[in-house]
Amino acid sequence: MSTNELTLTPSQSPGLVKSPLSISPSGSLGAVRRPVNTTGWREWLFTVDHKKIGIMYGCVAFVFFIVGGVEALFIRLQLALPDGRILSADKYNQMFTMHGTTMIFLFAMPMAAAFANYFLPLQIGARDVAFPRLNALSFWLFVSGGLILNASWFLGGAADGGWFMYAPNSGPVFSPSNGVDFWVLGLQIAGIASLIGSINLIVTVLNMRAPGMTLMKMPVFTWMILVVQFLLVFSLPVITVALVLLMFQRSYGATFFDVSQGADPLLWQHLFWIFGHPEVYVLILPGFGIISEVLPTFSRKPLFGYPFVVFSGASIGLVGFGVWAHHMFASGLGPVSVAVFSMATMAIAIPTGVKIFNWILTMWGGKIWYSVAMKFAIGLVVLFTIGGLSGVTHAVAPSDTQQTDTYYIVAHFHYVLVGGMMFGLFSGFYYWWPKVFGKMLNEKLGNWNFWLMLIGMNLTFGPMHILGLQGQPRRMYIWTEARAGEGFFNFGFWNLVSSIGSFVLAVGVLFFIINVIKTARNPERAPLDPWDARTLEWLTTSPPKVYNFDRIPVVHHLDEFFHRKYVEDETTHTMTQIATCEDLMRAEEAAADTGIHLPGPSYWPLLLAIGVAVLGMGVIYGTPIMVVGALVVLFSSFGWVLEPSVPEPIDFDSPSTDGHTKEIAPLG
Amino acid sequence: MSHSVSPHSSEKAMDIVNNVKSSSHRIRNSIATVIGIVALAGCATNAPQDTWQPKGDNAQVINNLQWIIFPMAGVVGVLVLGFYAYTIYKYKDRGQPIPSQSHGKPVVEIILTIIPALILTVVGVFTFRGIFELANTEDTEMVINVTGQQWWWEYDYPAQDDQGITQPIISSGQLVIPVGTKVLLRETSRDVIHSYWIPALNGKKDAVPGRINLLRLQADKPGIFAGQCTEFCGLSHANMRMEAIALSKEDFAKWVANQQKDYTSPAAGSLANEGEGVFLNQCIRCHQVNGLKKADGTPALAAPDENVYSGAAPNLSHLMSRNTFAGAKFDLLRKSCRSDVWEASSETIGAKYLAGVSESCLNATDLRAWLRNAPAMKPMYADPTKLVKSGGKYRGMPNLGLTETDIDKLVAYLLTLK
Amino acid sequence: MITPGSKYFFGLTGLSLIAAILYLVLVNPTDLGAVALFGLATSGALIGVMASFTRDGDVYTDEEAVAANAAAGPPSFWPIVFALGAALVLTGLATVSVVFVLGIAVLIGGGVEWSIQNWADGASSDREFNEFARARAISAIEYPGLAAVGLGVIAFFFSRVFLALSKESGTIFFIVVAAAIFVIGVLIASKSFMKGAVTVVVAVLAVVALVGVGTFAALSGERHELAIAAEEDYYDASHRECGEEESEHYDHLANNTVSLRSAVTATIFVKDGKVYAEAIGMTKKVDTITIPRSNATSVMFRNLDEEKHRLVVNLGSAKVGETGVAEKVGTCTQLTGKNQEQVMTLTIPKPATEAEPYSFTVPGATGEIKLVVP
Repeated sequence: MSTNELTLTPSQSPGLVKSPLSISPSGSLGAVRRPVNTTGWREWLFTVDHKKIGIMYGCVAFVFFIVGGVEALFIRLQLALPDGRILSADKYNQMFTMHGTTMIFLFAMPMAAAFANYFLPLQIGARDVAFPRLNALSFWLFVSGGLILNASWFLGGAADGGWFMYAPNSGPVFSPSNGVDFWVLGLQIAGIASLIGSINLIVTVLNMRAPGMTLMKMPVFTWMILVVQFLLVFSLPVITVALVLLMFQRSYGATFFDVSQGADPLLWQHLFWIFGHPEVYVLILPGFGIISEVLPTFSRKPLFGYPFVVFSGASIGLVGFGVWAHHMFASGLGPVSVAVFSMATMAIAIPTGVKIFNWILTMWGGKIWYSVAMKFAIGLVVLFTIGGLSGVTHAVAPSDTQQTDTYYIVAHFHYVLVGGMMFGLFSGFYYWWPKVFGKMLNEKLGNWNFWLMLIGMNLTFGPMHILGLQGQPRRMYIWTEARAGEGFFNFGFWNLVSSIGSFVLAVGVLFFIINVIKTARNPERAPLDPWDARTLEWLTTSPPKVYNFDRIPVVHHLDEFFHRKYVEDETTHTMTQIATCEDLMRAEEAAADTGIHLPGPSYWPLLLAIGVAVLGMGVIYGTPIMVVGALVVLFSSFGWVLEPSVPEPIDFDSPSTDGHTKEIAPLG
Repeated sequence: MSHSVSPHSSEKAMDIVNNVKSSSHRIRNSIATVIGIVALAGCATNAPQDTWQPKGDNAQVINNLQWIIFPMAGVVGVLVLGFYAYTIYKYKDRGQPIPSQSHGKPVVEIILTIIPALILTVVGVFTFRGIFELANTEDTEMVINVTGQQWWWEYDYPAQDDQGITQPIISSGQLVIPVGTKVLLRETSRDVIHSYWIPALNGKKDAVPGRINLLRLQADKPGIFAGQCTEFCGLSHANMRMEAIALSKEDFAKWVANQQKDYTSPAAGSLANEGEGVFLNQCIRCHQVNGLKKADGTPALAAPDENVYSGAAPNLSHLMSRNTFAGAKFDLLRKSCRSDVWEASSETIGAKYLAGVSESCLNATDLRAWLRNAPAMKPMYADPTKLVKSGGKYRGMPNLGLTETDIDKLVAYLLTLK
Repeated sequence: MITPGSKYFFGLTGLSLIAAILYLVLVNPTDLGAVALFGLATSGALIGVMASFTRDGDVYTDEEAVAANAAAGPPSFWPIVFALGAALVLTGLATVSVVFVLGIAVLIGGGVEWSIQNWADGASSDREFNEFARARAISAIEYPGLAAVGLGVIAFFFSRVFLALSKESGTIFFIVVAAAIFVIGVLIASKSFMKGAVTVVVAVLAVVALVGVGTFAALSGERHELAIAAEEDYYDASHRECGEEESEHYDHLANNTVSLRSAVTATIFVKDGKVYAEAIGMTKKVDTITIPRSNATSVMFRNLDEEKHRLVVNLGSAKVGETGVAEKVGTCTQLTGKNQEQVMTLTIPKPATEAEPYSFTVPGATGEIKLVVP
């Protein structure tokens, strides 16, 4: 080739990008060439496939669940007896702070993200999310944030100001160790992860639904996730502001929360709770979404009042922004503010009640199959009702001034979080395990799992209602006989019962882990449609092919998948099955698309996340490290932007006539 | 061609049978547990900080509201969960065909939305009234300034002629109020947010630095009421306690008179006098005793602003007229004497409290241990090698390294602060 | 995946880790030493990882083309820029730190550009293509960077002019310059065809003029009143004049509204020449305000009188340093007009005593409010 000619032949021998170059970016700027599909650990590290990312989210979130759970067990050990000596005051304060922070930010939100990542595209008939590399970035940023947060245990002590870290106690004088700095940075990074993810999913839902799927034909799980993403978009920036202000106060001498310089400590409270209240809806709505799939499936009836459930979900999200100061009834807001927020908090009980009624009426008149997934779903409805009713008792502001900061509040939010959110997630595990891993979780072990968790949870948190009403405040590293009351059923009895219950709950979780391990070893594959389900994610193989659907389905109904299997007679209202899932899959494969393009893997999200983590550590340990981190971030951003949008062709062919799916995987 | 989808294996069928039997009982069990718990709570315990035993008007307002909202929540819970249990029992899969795919009945929905709204409106009206009743400060009869600090409470009573207080009184730990009087606390804090809570008398109100928050207290009858700081305020939050003592009006006048008595130095040559010397050497750096004079006759002024980060330490004037110390974590009275006060009836508590702490009743063990090594008794930031962030100032009482004889002298001296 | 280049960095990582461990074990470790060595290890690891991700920045080339290209590399001025940077760094070390910082910036900028140029030159034997590759890689930094530098230069020299001129002549200067820019702009825009060269010449002349004038202004220094203000702080407490009259500097541009209303413990009013106070939670007027010791507390002052007043707090007296002279302690608000308010925040470390009582007074009005600090 002469030096003056430019040959425009496309790269035809993949892997030998040495010879004639084309103008197309692919293969030219070799330094930023995209990786190709590989196997093994690299497949997971550089993936942008929403399914793999969902599984990774789930695994890491579960690890943090265990970490948070162990922290809780330490707390209960310390409080089982009066004058406990298991933990010092300092360690206890770190323990309860980290328990709350870990469970909320590193378990609940990522686990919901795991479900959302895996199932949202499947439920709307898409092949992936709108921004796959951003999706990967969200995950790796979450890992960075989680690691930074927990690194504090080994680097001078964890944060010890409570999970809502009120100022001025969070300031540099009153919390002298680096723990709060790690907390601030870890949460900022995890917050960025969630914010990016929320934008990603909103765009996905609004733009990438299958043809024919209007918003009101979307599954309820998708709707609830959509509402959650909007909540995140509007609430995360507020806490980011609060964290930035605190970071500048602690690390750079600002005085945002320094009373002697004229600051008002209530600023932190307002900023935090404007985020904090929508946050609790962020935590619970995914669980609501999951059981809104599970209950209809196992009752063999559609969800009762779909529009009401959807609108009540949206209105809970919206009104949720208007009730934040009910966490501040004792802070001195003045009677007018207190009255307004008290009324608003009572108002929000109404859409929640609507949902409960709808779930119950879904089951009314049904044909109910009590699988483990269904049991967890029913458990959510019962326990959330109890937790919600105790919540109404503190919507009454004067009553709340007796209850707030006592174990009564702890009981309330654990009922709605453990009984509500966690049971919802476990219901999702049992329901969707066959789809994700191709195997059914063992029902017998599942029953042990469920009953132990149910009994354990009630034994742990039920007595806390009484302890709170008897006057035990929260966040106390020790309780004494002097305040315990006389009689048998005093602090001593209930604290002991609660501590024993926590271990029962732990054993229940252990059964889940055993179930997972046993299932992994079990060679028996699950059927395609074990629960005779209703929504589109079941119109795939188990696990789904990497491109999800053989062809994008055209949607005509809510519960489209169910309508393809069953037909209802207009007059007699009897159901007739016209096809099984296997029939439908065969038809899909026969008519499969060809030339499906999928986004290729990429290094840069991982590198960018590492750069952000280093940047964060630099805030604590010195500006030179920050500079290094900033350079890595800059470098990774450039690499991300410059990398070709398409890698070497990795189109997927339709299944050939002999039934195998052929992939052109170009390189090893 | 019609199929009815049935479980895939006999194992699953057995599971269903087992689940069905147990699940209908499960709901009943859950409900029974909850009701049982609530009921049992009533049969307890006289816990000192019980929130359902009002002993004053303000707590009574709250209790009236509690008696509306709790039973209502309970009834709603029982009805809803009972209906649910019935549903679970009635519609288990006994081989019926797949039901008609009903999508809902809007009329039912709307009714089920309106009913809770109505109930909550009624509750809301009562709540509204309660909020404003508790926020009223027009009828205040006595004012006390309360200042929270890590990890103790300071009280100062401004001069109020109609209550017989001619000069400001300063105290800590135990808040003394006259019975049947509308007392208003003006709360603030020197460092972080604390919260003042005496459950028997009212709900809690945060003590926020830089602000004044108001809390009404009123006791119906003489008595002693326990309380605790209820906003997480750092290391020893769990050890920051207080008590309110309500005395009859005559007893209160006696208490005020005692608090306003002048300081008398202990007799020369006594152990207590030597203790005064030790006090002037060590303790005066942070603790003030009103009226105490230095050797040259000038008033001895404590300087906690130079030694303590938050700038103050408990004023020890008339220490032995109180019966707790160290942020009400420890008792000044020995156990038996303390139970005497704690369990006294409303008629006798005034006299017992006003008797103060005598030598025979003094809890010398705890007091000496405190003087010997305070940080070992109550977690505080008082290690001199670790005070960089607070500019070298203590956050709590340090270990002064006193000898046993010094402690003897000090105890003898403190006993004279009646 | 482990490219040859990255091996050097991984080697550096390994060696510095070993060094760090030995350092910690054998030498009495200081924070700085351990941090430096571990930092070195981390940087080495990071750079090594980045090098292997980007395959040593390797662009696949055609060997023949490289050989053909080797003799005729295109000319580049980046090495000179780099050298200039090095010179500035050394000069700056010997003289002013500004030059040193400038040198570092030039060094980094020149170094980056030189590296990218080199990398792009190896992409192919076609110069056009190489230029395309170079531009693709670095334009996104180049353009904003140049713009930032340009804007910085304009802003800096413009500001020197305004700092030197008095307020009145500064206004005139601004109007004249703005009018000139406007007129020239209209002239250029109204022509249907204008040679590019003309606009460039005009722009260059303008910049040269600005830099020239700006340099002159910078050298003649800031105007008189600014220079004095920098030396003395008129708002300093020692300059606060707490009498009845208006103080030239302390009361200059006095604040007269207060946004923070809920955080005051008491409000002191002056009406018809008399002083009175109300406190939160107290139903009647009070003549004593209590403030806890060492607690930052705010008191509001509201003037309901026709004349201007200020609030003064008297906190006894204290002996001043070596001289032993007792000086009055206290502070005051700025002068406040009718129906206007100010806030005074007090943190009082010492209690009031009988010998040294504290009080609030308003010069020019009767009455005082006692201040009790228990």
